[in-house]
Formats: sequence, structure tokens, C-alpha cells
Amino acid sequence: MSKHAKIEKNIGLMGVLIALVVSMGGLVEIVPLMFQTSVIEAHPNLKPYTALEFAGRDIYIAEGCYNCHSQQIRPFVDETLRYGHYSQANEFVYDHPFQWGSKRTGPDLHRVGGKYTNEWHEYHLMDPRSVVPESNMPGYPWFAEKLVDAEQTAAGMKVHAKWFGVPYTQEQLDSAQADVDGKTQLEAVIAYLQVLGTAIPRSYK
Amino acid sequence: MEMTSGWSLFIIVIVVAHIIGYSYLLWSTSKMKSDGHKEGETTGHEWDGIEEYNNPLPRWWLFMFIFTIIFAIGYLILYPGMGNYKGTLGWTEENAWAKENEQVLAKRAELFSTFIDKPIPAMIQDEKAMAIGERLFANHCSTCHGSDAQGAVGFPNLTDNDWLYGGEPDTLVQTITNGRVGVMPAWGSALGDDGVKQVAAYVRHFSEEGQDEDLVAKGKGKFAMFCAACHGADAKGNHLMGAPNLTDATWLHSFDSGRVESILLEGISGKMPAHGNILDEGSIKVLAAYVYSLSHE
Ligand code: HEC
Ligand code: HEC
Ligand code: HEC
Repeated sequence: MSKHAKIEKNIGLMGVLIALVVSMGGLVEIVPLMFQTSVIEAHPNLKPYTALEFAGRDIYIAEGCYNCHSQQIRPFVDETLRYGHYSQANEFVYDHPFQWGSKRTGPDLHRVGGKYTNEWHEYHLMDPRSVVPESNMPGYPWFAEKLVDAEQTAAGMKVHAKWFGVPYTQEQLDSAQADVDGKTQLEAVIAYLQVLGTAIPRSYK
Repeated sequence: MEMTSGWSLFIIVIVVAHIIGYSYLLWSTSKMKSDGHKEGETTGHEWDGIEEYNNPLPRWWLFMFIFTIIFAIGYLILYPGMGNYKGTLGWTEENAWAKENEQVLAKRAELFSTFIDKPIPAMIQDEKAMAIGERLFANHCSTCHGSDAQGAVGFPNLTDNDWLYGGEPDTLVQTITNGRVGVMPAWGSALGDDGVKQVAAYVRHFSEEGQDEDLVAKGKGKFAMFCAACHGADAKGNHLMGAPNLTDATWLHSFDSGRVESILLEGISGKMPAHGNILDEGSIKVLAAYVYSLSHE
């Protein structure tokens, strides 16, 4: 039997060899990155999300904002003139999972932190068309009434600290539930939006 | 951005092994004896009447494989791909961006040089400057002030020549560069509910007929006492405070009934973010000129 026939007639062996071939790309392109300091060490200005920001991030994910918004400014001049400094890997080390996204129905949000006032975000999230008449973003009027799930927020932060190595202090973990108790989803989402991308100053110069 | 030499070696070994391995695979399969079958014959396998030929790869297909291997070698010499080896072109994503950015900025400086030294009232006659201003406005200002610059509730209309802080060219540059914060304190505790109703009626009577005369008269006195310092004795506003003119029918915030009262009870503020640290001086001047052009011929 030729080698060819041997492989073709032994599905187990073929499976192993296919897996080996397919994993090669990842092995050279991804695995070494997981050990490279410039990628896995946090940017010096980056802070772990506060409890309120953390809760806002959960809502961002739950509502599927990432279906329309990316959070990665690519190193192209047209993007940096529009959105500010390009994104760096070390700005996302506390994001589990990161919200890079791949769909831009709306603008990239990576450096939206500080771009608008809280009032603008309030108007905009309640009814985007009240400030941007051309917008096709849906409104989220229930954000103002619904409260943050404080218990889940505190539990989530603990998981991030324990399993993902996010450097929360014991104090932060202990006060997390009280920190967000009674806060609206609106406050949480805005707090999250306002801290996005602030590790590197926004500039369009 | 360097990685440790161990990882660098790890990558190099796998990449080189692949190139050699695939070259060998191509060479050996193109030479391989086909189990004694001749070209055009089948292997003898048959599934439901479908038979399998055992022909070598067509030439052009084989050449495509060879080409990809040559391409890969060329690429790995020119560009970074072999661990820490930087490639003869010295290309990095950061440098590529920086270089392009420099070119764009140089081009912009050249473009701007044709109008940027003109005073703003003259610059608004320059079509190119205004076209650039419109694009800059769309990108940096339109989400708050509207793409037509006519504003929204809480965000001033910039086309109507009715200004919170003033519409002189220098003032506009100041506003955009340093931002503005307009704060109107809460009056609930100082005036009480009745007092609020009275001044609200007084404020409304300038632009809306049919206010209760008694309330207006009482409100007038309170206005002079509490409000004139910022809004002016004649209620026509004050550019230094960013206090709006209350006598016209142009409102920054909604003036639906009840809204005036709630603004007075709770206070209100508006913030125009500073753009001096995020936009270059030239762009700010062009933006000021564009805003100026919206209310001037
Ligand atoms: C259907 C697609 C869609 C979804 C879903 C969506 N957006 Fe948007 N978003 C847009 C579009 C389009 C714009 C641009 C127009 C505008 O400003 O409203 C936008 C603009 C924004 C902006 C302003 C960005 C800027 O720089 O001007 C923010 C902030 C924002 N969205 C946040 C959110 C959040 C938070 C969510 C989830 C709660 C969300 N969006 C969900 C489409 C979407
Ligand atoms: C986050 C929303 C926001 C953005 C972005 C923004 N503005 Fe404003 N702007 C405001 C608000 C709010 C005010 C009113 C401030 C107040 O209430 O005192 C204002 C006031 C102004 C004024 C003063 C108007 C007057 O009547 O005196 C000018 C001029 C102006 N903006 C121009 C711009 C330009 C040009 C840009 C783009 C570079 C811009 N703004 C971006 C929110 C914004
Ligand atoms: C400290 C200065 C100050 C004082 C005193 C003050 N105001 Fe104001 N007022 C402002 C400013 C600044 C604004 C604009 C707020 C903004 O930028 O959103 C404003 C806004 C308003 C508005 C909304 C105008 C619009 O176009 O929507 C009304 C109405 C008003 N003031 C009435 C009053 C009355 C009545 C009093 C007295 C009881 C008073 N103000 C006292 C500074 C002041």
C-alpha cells in the first residue's frame, strides 16, 4: 500500500495530520504573542474597570453594541485622523473578552472616552435621533429605569481577579456590590463609554 | 517589540521546516510512481460508478505552488516574518503609519497655506477652505451641533447669529480651542415654587403672549434681584457668562411649558469640550471660519 493510500484509508491518522497542518499557522503567529511583554503587559495608564464601568461593559455586551461598533482603531491615517491614536494590544489586557468587533455600522468606539459629555450620551442612548437626526442606532430608553445587577457585577469582578489575573484589590472586590447598588444601567454604560481608550490621549493632530 | 531568542528560534524553525517540507512534498509527488498506473488510467477505485483517475497535477497548478514558495522566500527576506529578523526593508506597522501620516500632514500644510493666513472674514470667501471646514465639522462637531449646525436641545444652533459667548472670529477660535462651560445654578431653594412660577412667567412674557400679568409683575422684581447679574437687567443675556438671551424665541433648552420651571428648580449646565489639545491650530481656524460663514455672507 502506498503512503497516500495508508493515510486515505485511516481516518484517525488523517484527522491527526489535518489537525497538525491546520494548527501550524496559529503556532507561529499566535502562540509566541502570548508570551510577548508588549502585548500581555498592561499599558502604564491602564486601570482595571471600576465596578460601575465593569457593569456597563456587561450591558454593552448583553445588548450587542459590538454588532454595530468596533473597538479597534487600525494604524491607517484615515482612521487616526477620524478616531485618534491607533489601538494598541496593551490597552486591552483587562478585557475578557475584548470587544474589538468587526462590524462598523456605527463609528469605532475605542477612543470615545471623553469625546462627549455625559449629557450627550444620555440624550443619545435614550433616543439617538434627538441629537443625531440621521442616526439609525436604536434607542435604549429602558437603560434609565433598569438597575444594574449588583450581585452579578461583584461576582464577575471576582472571576476576573481570580481567573484572568486582573489586579483588583481586595477592597475593590469587597465594595463592588455596594458601589453599583441602585445605579441605573444608563449610568453604568456611560461610565464605561467615558473610560474607553483613555490610556492614550485622544488627538487628531 | 523584540521577543526572546527562544521564541524567535521557535518561529524560524517552523517556518524553514515548512518551506523545505512543502518543497519536498511537491518534488516527491510530481515524481511519484502512480502505483504502476499510466496517465489516463484509473486507480481502480470505484464508488457508485464514480472512478478515480491517477494523473499528476496539471503543470500550471504545480507552477502556482512553486510560485507561492518563491514568493514566501522573497517576502521573508524583505519583511519581518522570521522571528526577530527585521527584513531588509525595515518595515514596521508603526513606521508605515508614521510615514503616511507625515505625508498627509505635509499635504495638508501645503493646502492650508493658500488660505490659512487670511483673516477669518476673508477666509469664508475661499471655497476650498469652506469645503474643508465642512468636512472637519462633520467629523468633529456635527454629532452635537447637528450636521446642518442647527443644534439640538442643549446644543446651540450655530447658524442663527444668536450667540451664548459671541460670534466674533476671535471668540469662536477661543470657544473651540478652550471649550466653554455654562452653568445655571438651581433656584428651587432661593425662590420656592411660587417664586419659580413668577420668574418663569416673566421670562416667558418676552416671547409669548398671554402670561398672567400678576405673575409677570412679581417675577420682574425677582428677576432683577436674582437673575440680572448673569442674564442682564434687560434679560438679553451676557456673553461673558454664556447666559442666553431670554427675550427672543430662540431657546438653548426646550421651552415647553413646565420645562422652564424645571430648569429653574434644578439648574442646568452645558459644556462645549475643549478642542485645543486634540486639533491642530490650522484646523481650528478653518472650523471657526466655517462656523462664522454659517451666519455671514
Ligand atoms: C444598529 C446598529 C447600532 C447598534 C446596535 C448600536 N449602535 Fe451606537 N451607533 C450606531 C450608528 C449608526 C452611530 C452613528 C450615528 C449616531 O451618532 O447616532 C452610532 C453612534 C454611537 C456613539 C457615538 C460615537 C461617536 O464617536 O460619535 C456611541 C457612543 C454609541 N453609538 C454607543 C452605542 C452603545 C453603547 C450601544 C449599545 C447599547 C450601541 N451604540 C448600539 C449604530 C448602532
Ligand atoms: C460634546 C458635544 C459638543 C461637541 C463635540 C462640540 N460642541 Fe460646541 N458646544 C456644545 C455645547 C453644549 C455648547 C453650549 C455650551 C453652553 O451651554 O454653555 C457648545 C457651544 C459652542 C459654541 C458657542 C456657541 C455660542 O452661541 O456662543 C461654538 C462656536 C461651538 N460650540 C462650536 C463647536 C465646534 C466648531 C465644534 C467642533 C470642533 C464643536 N462645537 C463641538 C457641545 C459640543
Ligand atoms: C450664574 C449666572 C446665572 C444666573 C444668576 C442665572 N442664570 Fe439662567 N442661565 C445661565 C447660564 C450660563 C445658562 C445657560 C446654561 C447652559 O449653558 O446650558 C442659563 C440658562 C437659563 C435659561 C434657559 C435658556 C434657554 O435658552 O434655554 C433660563 C430660562 C434661565 N437661565 C433663567 C434664569 C432665571 C429666571 C434666573 C434667575 C432666577 C437665572 N436664569 C439666573 C446663567 C445664570
